[in-house]
Amino acid sequence: MSSTRRSALFINFWRLAILILTLGVWQWGWEFNHWLVAGLDKHTAKMLTLQILDPFFISQPTEIWQRFVELGCLRDRAGNWVFSAAGKGFIGCLGKHPENLWAMTWATLYNTFWGFFVGVSTGVIAGLALGRSDTLARIFEPYIVAINSLPRIALVPLIVLMFGLGDLSKIMTAWIIVFFLVFFNTFEGARSVDRDHINVARLLGASDWQITRSVIIPSTMAWVFASLTPAVSFSLIGVIVGEFIGAEKGLGKIIIESEATLETADMMVALFVLMVVGVALAVGIRRLQAYLLRWQAHFNHTF
Amino acid sequence: MNMGSGNRARIQVDKLYKTYPGRHRQSVAAVEDVSFSIREGEFVALIGPSGCGKSTILNMAAGLLPISGGSIHIDDQPVLAGQVTPRVGYVFQRDTAYPWRTVARNIGFGLELNKTPEAQRRRLVDEFVHRGGLTEFANAFPLTLSGGMRQRVALMRTLIMRPEILLMDEPFGALDTHTKLDMHKLLLEIWQEERQTVIFVTHDLGEALTLSDRIIVLSARPGRIKEIFEVDFARPRDAVSLRETRQFADLFSRIWHSLGEEFMKGRAQG
Repeated sequence: MSSTRRSALFINFWRLAILILTLGVWQWGWEFNHWLVAGLDKHTAKMLTLQILDPFFISQPTEIWQRFVELGCLRDRAGNWVFSAAGKGFIGCLGKHPENLWAMTWATLYNTFWGFFVGVSTGVIAGLALGRSDTLARIFEPYIVAINSLPRIALVPLIVLMFGLGDLSKIMTAWIIVFFLVFFNTFEGARSVDRDHINVARLLGASDWQITRSVIIPSTMAWVFASLTPAVSFSLIGVIVGEFIGAEKGLGKIIIESEATLETADMMVALFVLMVVGVALAVGIRRLQAYLLRWQAHFNHTF
Repeated sequence: MNMGSGNRARIQVDKLYKTYPGRHRQSVAAVEDVSFSIREGEFVALIGPSGCGKSTILNMAAGLLPISGGSIHIDDQPVLAGQVTPRVGYVFQRDTAYPWRTVARNIGFGLELNKTPEAQRRRLVDEFVHRGGLTEFANAFPLTLSGGMRQRVALMRTLIMRPEILLMDEPFGALDTHTKLDMHKLLLEIWQEERQTVIFVTHDLGEALTLSDRIIVLSARPGRIKEIFEVDFARPRDAVSLRETRQFADLFSRIWHSLGEEFMKGRAQG
């Protein structure tokens, strides 16, 4: 329909306009600001200068791009594209610079995946066990409340101390955050299984194990899947925080090191890659959810 | 007990009581001194105002609720809470089709549970999907079906197990009049072929008259048997044209009076 098309065009126009404006201000805002206040006396000029636009803090799109192609082994220091004849080759560059952007991204992704995987699986198992057993739930309740009320991030230094600077400490950090999120969702889900759904199975002759497998688990899964999107974001947060506290590699390490060396362009590169990673993970999980929960109303028409 | 083939009591309810713990340590009686027996292949409706304990009786018969006093025997075996009686099928009022299973997999659920061989299961599922008029929707999820179709899924899921005894708890209570009539037709058709022994709980007198051989009227809480009516309309019955007959109207008004008093009491307790 033409009206929806026009409105889509309208939306896209404004999206693009905002992007261009942001990049433009980012790139030239500082110079423009100085040009504006050029004729004024020193005091007023200082007052009217927006410090936030200083490339020292926010770098510049061109500078960030420059660092991106360098850190990403796309162009060597001499300025030659690695794929061109004068370039030294992409794989060679990766080998020569173990701290390249892709190795760092991979390290973060790898730990995020394991933190997510271990966190979700242990959270589901614990949630099902406690959700289906009042005795277990009552025994563990005070401990769960106590640990859960502790801000998990506060545990990161301890985890790094215990598990070292390698991957394990990042996975543990992600795990401890993801676990509780998934645990509480699963627990709620296991508690709210429709009694009649269980009765139907029982009346059709199901054993306890069959009821668990074919009624309790599938109906709890709806709650579990609903927690997967936040779980993957939380896992990423856990890994990055772990990398801040102490790491040998990872995007978090690039960020924390560029803070120390005042290389804001490097930091911006890491942040952008992180943004892309975050979006990709969230979209991936949403698609998986939409497929697995296609029997549920609000997932039926997503994507 | 009479064990003659046509007259055998398949379900025997004796001095049945159900009490619930209430406030001030007093127990509340839901069912009081209810006795009746149901013959092989008989279709019996339990009718009464809401809260009269008719569903409670059914749930006790299914082993879903513990019995407070008296007994229920199915084929001379006492029914115990938490124990499933084989050959008994149960249909709930609420929509109980599993939303995560397709129509076909809902209907085949019981056969999956008892590990019926794949080929046989598929054949039976096809047959019951067809009987339920659900062929087009075999691979659809319940989400996309109407309430009536979902209830047909639940009914077929029970019937595919070939139960000899059917316990039905207001199975069509949530459906609109038209859909309800469709379901009556379907149920009459199936019952005519298979002659299950049925206890059908309802508060809809027209429905009870259309379907059953006997109507047990329960009083307002606590539920006691008030009166029992024989419904001797010829079978096979047609769910629609039956309603237009003189006999139907006569019996309807007779039972209506008996029931009306209880509805008034039920409302007063309300």
